Amino acid sequence: MLTTRAAYLFILPALTLYLVFVGLPILQVIGFSLFDWDNGAMGEFIGLANYRRMLGDQVFWTALWHNGLWVLLTLAFPLIAGLVLAAILAERNQRLVQWLGAIYFIPRTIPLVVAGIIWGWIYNPIFGLMNYGLETIGLGGLAGAWMAQESTALLSLNVVGAWTFFGFCVVIYLAAIQSIDPSFYEAAEIDGASWWRRFKDLTVPLLRGSSLFLGLYAAIEAMRFFDLVWVTTQGGPGYATEVLTTHIYKTFFLVGDFGYAATLSVVLLIIVLSISAGAFAILREP
Amino acid sequence: MTKTSGAARVIAIASLAGLAAQPALAQTAVTQWDQFAAAGITAAGPAMDELIDTCEPSLDGATILRTVAPSIGIRDSYRLAVSADKTPDLAYTWPAASVLAGYARIGALAPLEDYYEQYGWDGINEFYRGRNSYQGSIYGVPMEQDLMGVYYNPALFEEHGVDVPTSYEEFQAAVDTFKEAGIVPIAFGNRDRWPATNTLSLILGLTAGLETEEEVLFGDEPWTNADFQSAAETFQSWAEDGYFPTGFNGIGYDEANALFLAGRAAMTITGTWVLQDMARGASFDLGVFMLPPIDEDAEPGTMWGEGSQWQVAAIASDDTKDAAAAYIDCLISPESREVWVEKGYLVPIGTTPEELEQWDALPIVKSFYTQGLATADTNFYDLHTTLPESVTQVLYAELQRLISGDTDADEFLTAMQASWEQSIENGERWIP
Repeated sequence: MLTTRAAYLFILPALTLYLVFVGLPILQVIGFSLFDWDNGAMGEFIGLANYRRMLGDQVFWTALWHNGLWVLLTLAFPLIAGLVLAAILAERNQRLVQWLGAIYFIPRTIPLVVAGIIWGWIYNPIFGLMNYGLETIGLGGLAGAWMAQESTALLSLNVVGAWTFFGFCVVIYLAAIQSIDPSFYEAAEIDGASWWRRFKDLTVPLLRGSSLFLGLYAAIEAMRFFDLVWVTTQGGPGYATEVLTTHIYKTFFLVGDFGYAATLSVVLLIIVLSISAGAFAILREP
Repeated sequence: MTKTSGAARVIAIASLAGLAAQPALAQTAVTQWDQFAAAGITAAGPAMDELIDTCEPSLDGATILRTVAPSIGIRDSYRLAVSADKTPDLAYTWPAASVLAGYARIGALAPLEDYYEQYGWDGINEFYRGRNSYQGSIYGVPMEQDLMGVYYNPALFEEHGVDVPTSYEEFQAAVDTFKEAGIVPIAFGNRDRWPATNTLSLILGLTAGLETEEEVLFGDEPWTNADFQSAAETFQSWAEDGYFPTGFNGIGYDEANALFLAGRAAMTITGTWVLQDMARGASFDLGVFMLPPIDEDAEPGTMWGEGSQWQVAAIASDDTKDAAAAYIDCLISPESREVWVEKGYLVPIGTTPEELEQWDALPIVKSFYTQGLATADTNFYDLHTTLPESVTQVLYAELQRLISGDTDADEFLTAMQASWEQSIENGERWIP
């Protein structure tokens, strides 16, 4: 049996690496946020001035709202659609399930940068497939500059995000459904329960753990994503698709205000850690 | 022997002569970052390669270690390098004015006035020296002469009976003609956010004029003045009245250029920095004209700037700085300027239309610079290479909103004024 000391010795290498490559940089960023910076040069200690500035920064609040909205949209579409589709697929033969599961999963394997480029072409106002398709089926009046209008830009981007996340939800749900004891469904069928009743009263409650995992995973990813926005809209038009990560990027790389960028990063870290802590607590509940 | 290799030999000899009194630079390596690629913006890669080969032998043993960075991304890379105290010895980056002043302010750049005096870089006029100065010292050697103009498709103009406009009214009439014919009047894409700042700079200069611009940029005149208001309204009206393709905020800069080059748009308003792509990509005889004054009181002129500038790191050793300066001197010599023009489609500052006539430059290059340099006294500023970066980031976003109709000229200028005041308070404003 391992002693406590031996256990600590075993985790020491990983812990050391974690502290050096994660812990110290985080402390460094927190430290940066307390100083004034000018074009990459550290200036005087300014305490919490950058945090006070953030409270009055409208772009920050807009970006935070967009991140929050992204979480809600992700929970509303890919998760629910993935759950329903997985429930339908689960009743089909195994070979079909494997094929379709693999097909649905393909978008997940595509890097978001590539997905952004692909969908940038689809949405393109000049030669985009979306407008062409609408015109082909006689709905040309609905054609638009999807990612170039404040009213549609974020939603259009979220469709891309949903496209890449949806397949992942299907695969996770499928695996979870297949682990449910079939006798529950057999008993429900004998009792005359409809598909909808079986889905609502059996599948959904029994997949609570998977739903929580996917929901929290989606929430954390929604706070961190950057590449998709950067390659498609760079946060525009205006601030319509600005998210925290693009605001941080611009503040750091383009404006050179490392202190304020560090402040925004610290706040983002706190948000993500809070969600993660919540997720950890919820998932540990029996 | 080709004309170019002859020029190269002259450069080498002249440079060797100029370096006769230099201390030995052997063993000195000058790290160079530049943005000269083979295509796209600043596509002067072949000229750069040739000039390194030509100039290096004249550096008394010093060598050039070149790194190519993307033209847009070089700003980010350079900032990181400076912050890490790894500033490259020599960089060809952008923009000058506020951003260069910012690096000078923190002591990252070496002052160059001694080299200006030593080498007699008199081809760089006071305007460009000012844009590369901070608190009386000069920190950059601007090289690329950028001008803004209207590229047009002469075949489409002829087909629709449109003459090159000589007044703003004629320009508007030309736009209307193309609109009625179902042709996109002006290929314009602003997904990359920066193209609209060039267009606004042009409209602003032809509405408010250089003097009013300077009152705002260097004086106390607010952005919300009547001339700027008029310029913002003009730009918005262009967008609302169908001057541009639908969805321009979702169209990339390159896509807009491609639209024009494919003959699907009659004009595109952009700068000399894409001359190579334009000349290479056009399947028709390319034409260019300068947009006429918009306000009746405004002088003819165009937006101009230095594109990018050579800057030397303060942390470089004295030998390295000397080698870098000697190398810059070689790069901007008359013989090298000819190579830049002929191989790089890049016209260095100080090049005259008469020189272009003598050199093997394309007709479009000659035409562009002859027209653009004819109004040197009234040419005006490019906003996003003049303003502090914090203001530029607001300009990018607010301009997208202005031209998409999500805000009006009042709100746009109020947002700009607020950002401007904040930047002044932070000490970010550049004054030559």
